[in-house]
This record gives sequence, C-alpha cells and structure tokens, in this order.
Amino acid sequence: MHRRDLLLGGLAGAAGLLPALAPAPAAAFERVGDRRTLVFSGGQPVPVLDPHVRYDWSTRMMQQCIYDALCKYEGDPPKVVPWLAERWETSADGLTWTFHLVANAKFHNGDPVDAEAVRYSFQRALKLNKGVAWMLSAHLDPDGIAAVDARTVRITLKSSYGAFLSFMPLWYIVNPKQLAGSDDYGQKFLTEGDAGSGPFRIKRWDPQAVMALDAVADYWKGWPMAEADRPAGVIYRIIREPAPRKAALQRGEIDIATELSPDDYDQLAKAAGIVVESHTGMTPFTIQMNTQKGVTADLNMRKALAYAFDYEALIQIENGAAKLMDSPFPNAMAGHVAIKDIPRRDLDKAREFLARTAHPKGGFELEYLYVAGLEVERRIGLAVLESLRALDIKVNITAQPWPTLVARGAKAETAADMVAVYVTPVSTDPDVIASQYTSAAEGLFWGMHHLRDQQINDMVAAARLETDLARRMAGYAAIQQRIVDLQPAIFGMLEDRKWALRSYVKGFEFCPVRLTGEADLYTLYAAKA
Amino acid sequence: MATLRTILRRLALLGVMLGGLVLITFTVSNVAPSDPAALAAGPDATRAMIETVRHEYGLDQSLPMQLARYVADLLRLRLGRSIQTGNQVADDLARFFPATMELVLLSMLFSVLAGVPMGLWAAVRRNSWFDHAMRALAVSGVALPAFWAALLLQLVFAVWLGWLPTSGQLSVATAPPDPITGMILLDALLRGQWAVFAEAARYAVLPAFVLALPSLAAIVRVNRAEMIEVLAADYVTAARAHGVAPRRVIGWLALRNAMLPTLAMIGLRFGWTLGSTVLVETVFDWPGIGLYAVNSAIASDFKPVMGVTLAVGVTFMLTNLLIDLAYGWLDPRTRSA
Repeated sequence: MHRRDLLLGGLAGAAGLLPALAPAPAAAFERVGDRRTLVFSGGQPVPVLDPHVRYDWSTRMMQQCIYDALCKYEGDPPKVVPWLAERWETSADGLTWTFHLVANAKFHNGDPVDAEAVRYSFQRALKLNKGVAWMLSAHLDPDGIAAVDARTVRITLKSSYGAFLSFMPLWYIVNPKQLAGSDDYGQKFLTEGDAGSGPFRIKRWDPQAVMALDAVADYWKGWPMAEADRPAGVIYRIIREPAPRKAALQRGEIDIATELSPDDYDQLAKAAGIVVESHTGMTPFTIQMNTQKGVTADLNMRKALAYAFDYEALIQIENGAAKLMDSPFPNAMAGHVAIKDIPRRDLDKAREFLARTAHPKGGFELEYLYVAGLEVERRIGLAVLESLRALDIKVNITAQPWPTLVARGAKAETAADMVAVYVTPVSTDPDVIASQYTSAAEGLFWGMHHLRDQQINDMVAAARLETDLARRMAGYAAIQQRIVDLQPAIFGMLEDRKWALRSYVKGFEFCPVRLTGEADLYTLYAAKA
Repeated sequence: MATLRTILRRLALLGVMLGGLVLITFTVSNVAPSDPAALAAGPDATRAMIETVRHEYGLDQSLPMQLARYVADLLRLRLGRSIQTGNQVADDLARFFPATMELVLLSMLFSVLAGVPMGLWAAVRRNSWFDHAMRALAVSGVALPAFWAALLLQLVFAVWLGWLPTSGQLSVATAPPDPITGMILLDALLRGQWAVFAEAARYAVLPAFVLALPSLAAIVRVNRAEMIEVLAADYVTAARAHGVAPRRVIGWLALRNAMLPTLAMIGLRFGWTLGSTVLVETVFDWPGIGLYAVNSAIASDFKPVMGVTLAVGVTFMLTNLLIDLAYGWLDPRTRSA
C-alpha cells in the first residue's frame, strides 16, 4: 500500500470517527432527580447582585429570584401587589406609610423577615447612596424608617411623594444578621452572596458565564404551579452574541432566549418546538433633539423634523412588532393620555414649519447619533436620512459606543443634533418619565435634549407633591401636552418585548414594567409530557 | 554565566517595558471620552450618587495623583478595584486567567503539533496537492476574521451537525472540578474526573480551533519556507551523500535548523493568541480574561482593562524570554548575543 493511500485511508477513518464525538441529543432542560431546571439566556452579565447597589434587567431578574420586596409588580397592565407586606396604609397627607408584614416570611438561612430587616435594608440603601437610592433619597431620610413592632414598619417621608409606592417593588429586603460585623454594609459579601428570602437561592455563581439557582422548596409564599411541576431551579446563562444564543435555543441547550433581533424572532416563531412571547413594551424609543444648540434649538425646526419623519418605517424595521407612541408616556404608565396632535408624517406641515426657520429651504446637515452595534437604531438612522431628504436636509449617521455617546450628551455644546435613545422606566408612576423633561434631567442620558422649560419644571414639581390622585393625573395630562408642544424629541415607538421559549416552558407572565429582557422566573416551569 | 546575564538583562528591559505599558494604558484609559463613575452609578443616578462613586474610587483626584496611586498599588502587586463590582482586579484576574491560559495552551499545542509536520510535509512534497492545500489553509487561516470563522463553525458543528456545543466552558448542569490549576481540563484530568474531562474537551474544541487557525497558518508557512531553504543547503546534501537515512535528514537535521524561525514565530504567536482571546472568548462565552476585558471596556471600567493589558503584556514578554533561551539551546551561536 502506498503512503498516499495510507494517508487518505487515515483521513477517511478520522472522518468516520467524527460522528462518535457527537453528543447525545441535547437535553431539552436540565434535570435534578425528577424535577427540571430551566435555562434562561441573555447577553448581559450580572457583575453585582447586591440589590442596593445596582440594577439593570439581568441583575434585577436575578435579584427578584433571590430577594423579596414589600410588594411586587404583576400583570399587564402592571399592578403593585402585596408581597412581604400583606397590607399597608398611608396618612391623609401622604407623609406616613405603614406596612404590615406577613407572619411566615423567612430568609434562606431560616431567620424571620421582620420589621428590623426592612428598616435595616432601607437605611442601608439610602446610606450607600447607590443603585435604587435615587428613587427616595430626596424624600426620605435614613432615620425616617421605624420598626414599630416585629411585623410593622412605619416610613415617614420628608415630603409627600406620589411615586413612593411604585418604587417599593425595587427595594429588596436583606438579612441584617448575615451582614453584621461588616465594615462596608456587607457590599463585598453581597456582590455574589445571598442574604435573601426569595424563591431561589444561589447554587453556583460565575458572573461571566453561569448563575445557577436552586428553588427553595418551602418558599414562604409557596409556588404558583402544581407541586409536581415545581422546578428544581433555574439557570441564567450568559451568551453574549445573539447568533450563538439563537443557535443554543435551536439546539435545546437553553430553554428561553431574549435579546435577539426582530428577524431572529420571526424565524424562531416558525420553528418547531419554539414559541415566541411578544408583548407591547413600556420602553419609549425617541430621537432626542438638542434644544440648546444648532438648528434644532429652534422649536419650528424640531416640529419640521417631527412632521417629516416617516413613523411607519419604525413599524417596518420591527417587522410589525411595535406600536407608535401617542404620548411621551408609554401606554402602560399611569396617567397616560393620547395626545391628539402628536406629529405624524405630514410633509406639508413639515415644510410650513421649516419655512419659519432660518433655513426655509433646507440645505444643511444634521447628525444622527446612535449606539454602536444596535442594528435597529442604525436602520432607524437610515429612515431619518430618507425622511429628511424631502426637506433637502442631509443626515450624517454616526455610531459611538454607549459610554462615549452618554459623555457627549452630558453637555449641550457637545450633544448631537439628534440621538437615538431607549429609556425603560423603572416604575409605572408618571413622575419617572415626566421628570426626564425637567431641567434636573439635563445631561443625563435621557436628558440629552437639554430642555430648559420652567413651566414643565413647575408642573412636574406640583404633580409630584399632589396627593389627590385625580388632580395628580390631570397634572400629568397637561405635562404630556406641554412636552409634545415643545417637541424635544421625535416620539417614536414602543417596541414589543420578546422572548423565544421552548414550547414546553409554561407559566410565562408578562408585566411591562419589568426591564427589557427581564422575566419573572418564579412562575416558569417545564411542563411534563 | 552568559545565559544568566542575558536573563538579567532581559528582566531589566522587561521592567522598563512594563513601565511604558502602564503609562500608555493609563493615558489611553483616561483620555477616553466617558465617565466611568456615571456609568457605574447607573442610568438613573443623581449627581450626588455619581460623586459618591467618583470619590469612593479616587476618580475625583488629579490624573497625576491617580497615576501615582496606581503605580504604588502595582508595586504592592495590586491592580486597583473594578468600579463595576468593587472587586480587586488582581483577584478577578486570578479567577479568570486560568480559563484563558487553558484556551491559549490548547490552541498553541494544536498549532504546533499540526503546523510543524504540515509545513514539513508541504516542503518535502513541494508543489504537490498537499502543498497547494496547505497554501489554501494558510491564506484562509490568516484572512478569515476570527469572529466570522467562529460563527460559521458554530453554525455547522453545533447547529447543523449537532456534534459540539455552541458556547461556554462546561454544561450548565455540570459542576467544575475542585480547582488545582483553575484550568478545567487539567483539573478534571488531575482529579480523575473523566466524564467532566470529556465534556470540557468537547466544549474546548471549537474555540481552541478558531484561536489556533491564524497561528497554524503562520507556522505552516514559515516552517515550509525554512524547510525548503534548509533542504537545499550544502550540509543537507552532504549528509544525504554520506548515506544518512532520509528520515533522519528531514526529521532531525533539517527540521532542527528550520525550527529556529518557527520557534520565534511560536513565541510571537503566543502573545498574539493571548490578545486574540478577546474576540474568541466573546463569541464562545469562554469565561477568561478576554471576556472580562470586553465586559469591563463596555462599562468603561478601566482598571480591569489595564490589568488585563498588563497581564497579557507580562505573559508575552516572559514567553519571548523563554523562546530566546530555547533559541540559544537550539543554536549555541546565539547564546552570547
């Protein structure tokens, strides 16, 4: 036999052996005994688990698994429902809130969740002055929280604050006994540690790759599914790039995937054994315009741009999975009203407004800035370019990394003419969005429009302090109209939030106030065949 | 004695180069137009909260003061704290570096074990179909962007054929072995956990291969070219004329001499491969320092990025020192150089 034959024979043999490397078909879900563990995958890591230090969608999803709060958001439209607190009441002036805790709640180490733990947790969050602190720091001092008895907590605000209750689902309760003796409020321990009372406890924590949680079998609140369906646990697996994440779902390596492109979701929806959950979200996409510098400082120019923009392009880019904004507030937000004269494409009106500017015939350039790597925002930039061509306005589309984009937007002098921004509100209270158009927001990433309007400032401040709900909501209706009148942004769309799930995954419950890819893992389980 | 002098001289040079590296990475990190404190404080943070973070991490001090503190930390073998997690960067590196080293060593092992014989055989069978195939491999190995090759291989071997997993280092349901070296494959081997070893090997195949491709291509081309040159040398002709067995002429006499540039290439490729882990680890979600650097850079968390740069730089320099020493062993004439 010639060497060449030997070589070829060897290669053929090696090729024949390759299938032997093939694994058994990937498990549809991980099993622990006769119980199942679902694998959820997104692209965002969870660098810090501490509930008083950080939150973003992936972090909050894990925090919600491990910790409990006094109340929780549930349903669509979202409602604040009792959780650690079985009931609460507020004084007539809105300054004092009294929460009554459930009797049976306990931390993972067996300690009871009592009023002292609530007092400590609120004080800890306020004193650290990180993460969730901004929600209450202007209205609550650390000594404003008192443990009346083991099951009663009284919170006394410095000033009435209509949004107070809407933030309670984000203020998680930690076990002070596990943090005792720490000189940094237990920050080091809680970066990856567990001092919670939630439905899951930490099994394995690799912040760059995998977070595996075990279900707490005797969770004090019980489980929403039949006992036989109760999961053994849940795993959050980080797959940074959408393409391998989609591939992992198709292969059955993961059970739920989020943060995929509109086209990916459409393809997966047609695949056997996969379903796509699609729901109108609460994240406004707007194109903020610089109200202080350049041609967009002129209200007539901003109106011209808003009337020239082809809004239907947004729906096409999202393959139909989006809804146009009819107000600066998302639909699921309390106090939302549809503004009748919110701009839609009308080139006659656009030319009319343009004629009142210093550039009645166009003939100038604008910059459209978006976050590098966000394909949808890039395609929207192309739609802006195409739309403004009708007014003879040239658009330069530029992409910059998020940190650079935010740093540029911090000052009106450096902010772009137009910048694409998604802003997810963390609560359903209208103050969260309304305050984004006050002077206090100037320079923050949602305030890259740099709007300075004393009337809006006053209206928002008044609505924030109003304790009568009807009068408060009337105030926000007027605020929405005023924001549209000033047109600091092109009010775009509410993108659908989507998750692709293996069809055996049951119990998915959508709630729009959760952050982007976040899902409530507590309700999910794998149905037995 | 000469070797010792060489080592000491190189170590002194390494110190100077490290100083330069620190200065460059510090400068680049601080001219980047972003505000790490604002990003770490979160999107909703008030200005007071941002200032809290800025003060906690010393970012409210002047740049020369920050540099001085950083250098003082380095002298105590500390690399500062991550503004995202609050963790010591040195601790994070110790945690993530073994995964990267595992991947780099596997890919280098594959590049050398496959590349050297392939280059040798291409030289011996010059202009044969094998030589042409190696040329095609070399061109594509260098030309294919790593992320594209990674996605393509994932599609073929994970999605279509289902032979290999898409990404990660180990199945989410499998507990890694208790660490000895921190490298899962090696630890599984040392602890005799064969099932874990087999599973970890399957997860390592695609990322190691993608990472190895450019080095494999380079080694094949360099080794082939050197072998052709050496095989035409007088002393090889003389050896053949003296009746030395062809296998010994090619496999020992010629290959040993042709290996000098190949060895230098391996040293260079090692550093390059270490740097390339950033892309490969990102696509394959391999939890090493490349992924750590990417996650940190996205958050403008510069201390970890600087730490990774220094770690890669030091490893690169030390590897080259070792290669130089090996050079001396292969060619005694270079020992006193």
